[in-house]
Amino acid sequence: MAFGTNISRRRFVVGLSAAALPIGLSAGRAGEQGSIPDGEPRRGGTMTFLLPYEPPFLLSLFNPASLVLSAKMTEGLLEFDRSMTPRGQLATDWTVSPDGLTYRFALRRGVRWHDGRDFTSADVAFSLRTLKKVHPRGRLTFANLAEIATPNDHSVVLRLTRPTPFLLPALSAEESPIVPYHVYRDGDPLANPNALSPIGTGPFKFGEWSRGNYVILERNPDYWDPPRPYLDRIVARVISDPQQRSVAFETGTADVGYRTPVPLRDVERLRQLPTLEFETAGYTYSPPNITCIEFNLDNPHLGRIEIRQAIAHMIDRDKIAEVVYFGQAVACPSPIVPELAAFHDSSPSPYPFDPDAAAKLLDDAGYPRNRDGMRFSLTLDYPADETFHHLAAFLRVMLGRAGIWVKTRGQDIGSQARRVYTDRAFDMQLASLSNLFDPAIGVQRLFWSKNYVKGVPFSNATHYGNPLVDKLLEDQAVETDPARRVAQWREIQRIILHEVPDLNLVMPRWYTIANRRLKGHSDTADGLEGNLAHAYLVEK
Amino acid sequence: MIKDHVMKRAGPWLRVVAGSASFALPTILGIVILNFLFLQLLPGDAVDVLAMRSGSATVESISALRVQTGLDQPLSGQLAAYLSRLAHFDLGVSTQYHLPVADIIAARLPDTLLLVGGALGLAVVLGLLLGSVMASLAGRWIDRMLSGLLMLIYSTPGFWIGLMMILLFSVKLGLFPSAGSATIGTRLSGLAALYDKAAHLIMPMTALSLFYTAVYARLVRATMIDVLRQDFILAARAKGLHPVTLIRRHAIRNALIPVVTVAGIHLGNLLGGAVVVETVFGWPGMGRLAFDALLSRDFPVLLGVLLLSSILVVAVNALADVLLGWLDPRILTE
Amino acid sequence: MERPMIASRKLGSPVKDGIAFFKESGYLSLTVGGAVFAAIVVTAAAARLLFPGDPTDMVTTPLLWPGQSGLFPLGTTSLGQDVAAGLVWGARASLQVGILAAAVGLLLGLVAGTLAGYCGGWIDAVLVRVIALFQTMPPFLLVVVIVAIDEPTLRTISLAIGLAGWPTVARLVRAQVRSLRQAEFVLAARCQGYGTTRIVLGEILPNALPPVIATVSVLVANAILMEAGLSFLDMGDPNIVSWGSMIGAARDTLRIDWYLAVLPGLAIALTVLSLNLVSDGLTEVLSPRRRAAP
Repeated sequence: MAFGTNISRRRFVVGLSAAALPIGLSAGRAGEQGSIPDGEPRRGGTMTFLLPYEPPFLLSLFNPASLVLSAKMTEGLLEFDRSMTPRGQLATDWTVSPDGLTYRFALRRGVRWHDGRDFTSADVAFSLRTLKKVHPRGRLTFANLAEIATPNDHSVVLRLTRPTPFLLPALSAEESPIVPYHVYRDGDPLANPNALSPIGTGPFKFGEWSRGNYVILERNPDYWDPPRPYLDRIVARVISDPQQRSVAFETGTADVGYRTPVPLRDVERLRQLPTLEFETAGYTYSPPNITCIEFNLDNPHLGRIEIRQAIAHMIDRDKIAEVVYFGQAVACPSPIVPELAAFHDSSPSPYPFDPDAAAKLLDDAGYPRNRDGMRFSLTLDYPADETFHHLAAFLRVMLGRAGIWVKTRGQDIGSQARRVYTDRAFDMQLASLSNLFDPAIGVQRLFWSKNYVKGVPFSNATHYGNPLVDKLLEDQAVETDPARRVAQWREIQRIILHEVPDLNLVMPRWYTIANRRLKGHSDTADGLEGNLAHAYLVEK
Repeated sequence: MIKDHVMKRAGPWLRVVAGSASFALPTILGIVILNFLFLQLLPGDAVDVLAMRSGSATVESISALRVQTGLDQPLSGQLAAYLSRLAHFDLGVSTQYHLPVADIIAARLPDTLLLVGGALGLAVVLGLLLGSVMASLAGRWIDRMLSGLLMLIYSTPGFWIGLMMILLFSVKLGLFPSAGSATIGTRLSGLAALYDKAAHLIMPMTALSLFYTAVYARLVRATMIDVLRQDFILAARAKGLHPVTLIRRHAIRNALIPVVTVAGIHLGNLLGGAVVVETVFGWPGMGRLAFDALLSRDFPVLLGVLLLSSILVVAVNALADVLLGWLDPRILTE
Repeated sequence: MERPMIASRKLGSPVKDGIAFFKESGYLSLTVGGAVFAAIVVTAAAARLLFPGDPTDMVTTPLLWPGQSGLFPLGTTSLGQDVAAGLVWGARASLQVGILAAAVGLLLGLVAGTLAGYCGGWIDAVLVRVIALFQTMPPFLLVVVIVAIDEPTLRTISLAIGLAGWPTVARLVRAQVRSLRQAEFVLAARCQGYGTTRIVLGEILPNALPPVIATVSVLVANAILMEAGLSFLDMGDPNIVSWGSMIGAARDTLRIDWYLAVLPGLAIALTVLSLNLVSDGLTEVLSPRRRAAP
């Protein structure tokens, strides 16, 4: 232990990360590992990991869409157990000063990059600096980072200008990967080929990438944590057809896939198969998305709160979960999903399903029904996929009953991005939004008036602005007292629920589907997005 | 002068080829420019898609990406840059895969040609066979039954046939792998690799070829009935020539002409257009590559696939012309 | 020169000969195909009478199997929509796509083909290039790109499919017109001092049309199949029930509630089959050989 004491670490855990409240007292120590179920892990074998989409890169240094395979090769300073308690990955020990402005890390010794070079504090300093510059979320996470000091090869000190309560949870491998400085020394990090064939410190080395087809990762025999990794090889296979993904699990072609990679109607059928296992753990770090309708508040109808309330009264969330999602979703009126338990406000929507109330609101607002029974018309844009097609059809029928004629437009995401975020030529859009590991990262962007930026996806699409909400959002971003921070988020949710700039519908249930021969795949907060060092096959 | 001389001496064959080439080059240049401008009409660009997929973006990250991909340049500059690269046989770099387009296409080409070529080859052979049988037995019950069956195949959505094949042969019977073009991660060689490839190929190839088998069989049947009615055949028949010999010697040659013409165009079109079958069977082919490139607004890749497919159509058409000349010398002298 | 096809047959009774003629001449497939297609068209036209409500409305319990409820004899979708209503209304949309697409393809193809074939010279050279240019583009990819450029509405989809289909028509028309340009009756008309328009519209086109007419039903059929393919790739019109969109929506439930994909699939197959029969029949009936026969 280079510096700090257990007490200071404990203070960090209790004091700064509300999400980590429960198990904070058993905070990590160097090399400490989670419990491994089902007896002794055994070495060997190839695990086939099914991917619905191919990541653009194999490293999430500047492209967060690439994080699915990133952590297997490139590690971070910390990793998190199922209850978000941090433990060391490339850091062995860490302390945070009581004012939340100084972070000290002791780095793991004897770690080598896949190319044989030694891992040092220079790599960490370079990576954090680069993340601050080029990572879309890193820009926010490290906004207050003023100085990175490297007193020696094995310690790093971060100095902040203001506290950042979500800094430590952001230090995971997939969110803030530590890359080799010697590979990046010159040139534009965005153009560096390392993102396509990464050199990391992780349990797996890059093997082969057949574009649009598969990626092969090979076991790193010199991993710093022997005897891990147990697997000889990971084959990540891209299968774009949902029916094919079901078949792949049935026939044993795929060992594991995450975020419910099969048609929702197939879930219960596949659950009956003795070879398969459905796991719900492993989604603490990146909880299931919230599915919502975002209103364009610049639309003359939707700018009026009573219209949005009327629309809210036409929404039966439980019915959506049951019919559209075949029961594989949970009703959620809040923008923060139940999985983000520390922040989620479970109070019901102030506008329950009530068609009569909706009709009355619309009548009173001066929208009588015409001869066809319609009052006015709106468009509903959504990125075309199976489930959204059904959801859009459902909403079209429900709003039609209230006299709102809805034209649905399901298009590819390029058109969607242009229409909604650049041209703002939309009335309502269906979106599936990630909370991420902290609402400051995943939720603030949607409601902060200063984040209304044309041309930027997942910004404030509704053009919502409320000075009170703005102030709360700005305060929580530097609040060091977790209890007060939670209270601020509760208040924000209360206002959003009342003013309905967006209408949150459901949180889909995310399952990891795995062949029973695969064990130890979901022991961490990030599950399949983690490094999979602990995963093993009981038979080859 | 010298050219004329050479042309004369080389005979009609070269003339066909040279004629095709002089026709092809401007056509292909036109295709490239037209495709380029045409794709610009698509709403959103590669950076929009990258930002959407990222789940997070900022003004800075987006503008950095635009600069990196060259999408911040005016359209005329982009087109000029593309053409000048093309003149050096450089297809550009994929915005989605960050690799040279030529490498990506080259990686997919063997599997694509295997699937599309195999399917069309199978369709031509089966089509000729079935078409001849039907034509020689025209009006009998075998002809009627085969006609009905082919018509049914011809009328059923392709992806539907594919999905049913997977359910039957992969899930229920476990005969063939349901997806992919080879067992991944195994270093097979020799016979084992061949067997592995064949097992993966058989279902998508059959699914793709069924439709074309129906097309060609109908074409062959119609042409052959026409041919069989012609005077020279009737004369041959009157001389007592065996019907099978008759068909083999005279009718097939004539029936091949329309099939070869059509199959040439089909080959080019399927190279980038077998999207549905490739999706159903998870076959890593050019069609799916083009479709994914469209969804990603990866124009360099999309343009590359379109270019390749048009070159192939033109080349195959030239080849078909030569073949037609061989099948029917009258065409050459026209 | 031309030989009536039944001449080689043994002579039989007039009735038997009549039946044989009917069977072989293409009138049989024309009649059967035409009757089936007419029935489909009538059903589609009567959609409002048969199922007055909105076919997308969620009317009852989701995923009722065919026969499970007397009120919904063909079952319901995962959203509780009536499958029977969907099939009938879907006929409208699918036929609309088919006919509109065929019309676009036919119109473009006729104009370009006639111009190229009749005028010859540089017009022909240019048009042949344009046709070749379009033919080198994979048609399905072309449709997908056009639909992605605009919105996925029924109109855009039809237009796109029509645009992908016109080169076939144009080539056919061009070849026909070229061969007829020097025909005796055309020369005769020219000698009589008829204007170009009159020669083209009055003399050439009517004689060039028969094989083109036969391809129309194939165009319609292909358009219906292509629309289904688009829905399979999530590119159909979500506001309207078509057979293609029904199959597309049924993909999610294919393994369990397979009737949702089978029923519209059968509807497509039946319609396309009838159209192809009509096309085959027309080809036979309109072929010059046949017309020369007694």
